[in-house]
Amino acid sequence: MAFEFEYSAKNPLYPVSYLKLRAMHSRLEIIWTGQAENQAQGLAQRVEQEMLAMEREFNRFSEKSPLAVLNLKAAMEDVSVGEDLFMALELSEAFRRGTRGYFDIATSTSCGKDMVSYTLNPKSHSVRFNAPEVTLDLGGFAKGFALERVSRMLSDEGVERALLNFGSSSISALGTHPYGEWWAVGVDHTKQHGIVAKEVRLKDSAMSVSGRNYKGEYHIVNPHTGASVAAEELILVEGRSALVCEVLSTALYAAPKTEREAIVSQYDGYRASEILCGDCGSVSIRKIG
Amino acid sequence: MNRKEFLSDCGKIGFAGVTLSLFPWLQSCSDKAKQEVKGEKARIGIIGTGSRGCFHIKHLVQMPNVEVVALCDNYRPHLEDAAQYYPKAKLYDDYRHLLEQRDVEGVIIATPLYLHAPMTLDALSAGKRVFCEKSMGYTLDECLEVYNKRKETNGVLFIGQQRLFDPKYIKAMSMIHEGKIGDVVGVRNYWYRNNNWRRDVPSPELERHINWRLYSEYSRGLMTELACHQLQNGSWALGMLPEQVMGSGHLVHWLKEDKRDVYDCVSAIFTYPNGVNMTFESIISNKHFGMGEQILGTNGTIDLVTGMYYSDEPAPKGSGMHQLIAQIESGVMSNSVFAGTSWAAESSPLAPGVPIMTNVKVVTGESTVGAEADGSRELLEAFIHATITGRQPEKVLEESYYATQFALLADKAMHENQILRLDEKYKIPYTPLK
Repeated sequence: MAFEFEYSAKNPLYPVSYLKLRAMHSRLEIIWTGQAENQAQGLAQRVEQEMLAMEREFNRFSEKSPLAVLNLKAAMEDVSVGEDLFMALELSEAFRRGTRGYFDIATSTSCGKDMVSYTLNPKSHSVRFNAPEVTLDLGGFAKGFALERVSRMLSDEGVERALLNFGSSSISALGTHPYGEWWAVGVDHTKQHGIVAKEVRLKDSAMSVSGRNYKGEYHIVNPHTGASVAAEELILVEGRSALVCEVLSTALYAAPKTEREAIVSQYDGYRASEILCGDCGSVSIRKIG
Repeated sequence: MNRKEFLSDCGKIGFAGVTLSLFPWLQSCSDKAKQEVKGEKARIGIIGTGSRGCFHIKHLVQMPNVEVVALCDNYRPHLEDAAQYYPKAKLYDDYRHLLEQRDVEGVIIATPLYLHAPMTLDALSAGKRVFCEKSMGYTLDECLEVYNKRKETNGVLFIGQQRLFDPKYIKAMSMIHEGKIGDVVGVRNYWYRNNNWRRDVPSPELERHINWRLYSEYSRGLMTELACHQLQNGSWALGMLPEQVMGSGHLVHWLKEDKRDVYDCVSAIFTYPNGVNMTFESIISNKHFGMGEQILGTNGTIDLVTGMYYSDEPAPKGSGMHQLIAQIESGVMSNSVFAGTSWAAESSPLAPGVPIMTNVKVVTGESTVGAEADGSRELLEAFIHATITGRQPEKVLEESYYATQFALLADKAMHENQILRLDEKYKIPYTPLK
């Protein structure tokens, strides 16, 4: 895991720490203030260890990961998993129900669309797939989960001001910018880079953006149909939890427009928008719900 | 672009010294060269005052050190159009009479391809400095004959390959020879248009006179009219000449329209001694991709048309997070644009390119006559300087010679369906750019 740590005490009032990690096929960057250098460096190393652990747990492409083992065996037998993975599966099932099935970590399933792909046994912490050919992928969950986990680590160590950026699409904030009442984040215009399509103000909150990927490909699949969703607009979700924002933005993008409002209404305190970037820098924003 | 702007652009790219050793024909663009001919005038005759001839006239009228004293065209309307710019010039319909005019020091030849060599040979024999539009000749033998005549007469001969004087190309080639893009592993050229290449003809008997490009009796089609400009990109970039060429050409679309017999769809591959391929493709019934010229290196790609460099390993963009650090250090707050759909690896293949110089001028290649700021003016100025001094710049003719020869060879390969090499007898002394 590529690790980059920088520290600047140029501003003695707010010495700044910066951490960059390659993780989960993406890049996690964190800025925080208020710690001495050795303290910040220690925290950075612990964050790295935590990210490594989560990656080991959730990466279905790594043969020995618990998730890969689960995918291999759980159609045939009950498979015991660790606490984190069990919690991830519990939360994912809750999100699946809450988003009308438009968030679904089962990437291929022979289950019908309204059927549950797996059954969890809390006593034994085990999982059993309900049909053959079920494959679980936590890609759409892990970033938000990781942001939550790392935010908590920072907070537990007394960090009051931090901005966490995971892949530029999932961002979480502790406190505010040292010189403002929030952290200001601009959503990049998709056709005129450098223009702000929408400014988001984060204060102990998070945001997530879903849409076409950097290659312009439609990579989000509608779980109901199995087809890639070819919507031009971005979906932006803001709220308390980075994980919920991540899940919701994915689900809302995958869902037909007619169902988006109903999905958002299930999540109190979360705001969602459709952002359509046009030629010549134009922007059209529609609040969902 | 005038000479001052050109010099300024070249100055910004480290003109002089290294650049001159790579591109010695640019000597005439230096301040010293300008001083050398200060107050002098070149007396010019123009043979062929059709669209390309008039394109040159529009540059010439802006040059105070040029006096056009003679005009020639065997199509009267073209001659009359040109005469409006130079009412005092003598008018001819036979170029041989123009060549007899004593006060004509230099001639600009802008006639159909099949006339280039005969006219150039006659002009050199008459002691005139010559600027002949590309391509140099209609056959491999003609080109060699012209080259030898220039040597024999110790005359001045320029061929209309304006990229040799375009600051964007000069900058790009400098970067390539300094190793900035790594080893060159490929060269891509293409030129797509969607027009039938046909000019209006006032009466049927003028069809082949005006639309000569469409007939193989007078023209080699897309290879000599378009490819010739681009083929030198490979030799320039690689510092060597192709070893062999193969190609395929057909008349695919415009066959339905008229009686032409030149191809409207061609593809050629030129292979260099080190195994690198240079491709050229042209289709004139689809213009989606326009004109393109790309040098592919192990470190990155230079797009010669847009003047952009694309690194294969781009440095990470100064991320918004680093902007935030700078803000906090400075005690200020502003928004940072960095949120969007999933970021991928820093070495994204779609990372934006960077311009190779300021004020990059992009020529689309759509015009069938010529474009502003494509090096044509600078090329003319260099010819005027050479006309006054009587000095042939180094290398410029050799670069043009081989561009034409390989265009002709490719055309031959297409017609014969063979992989061809340039016969030894056509090889001339040549020092590649290094």
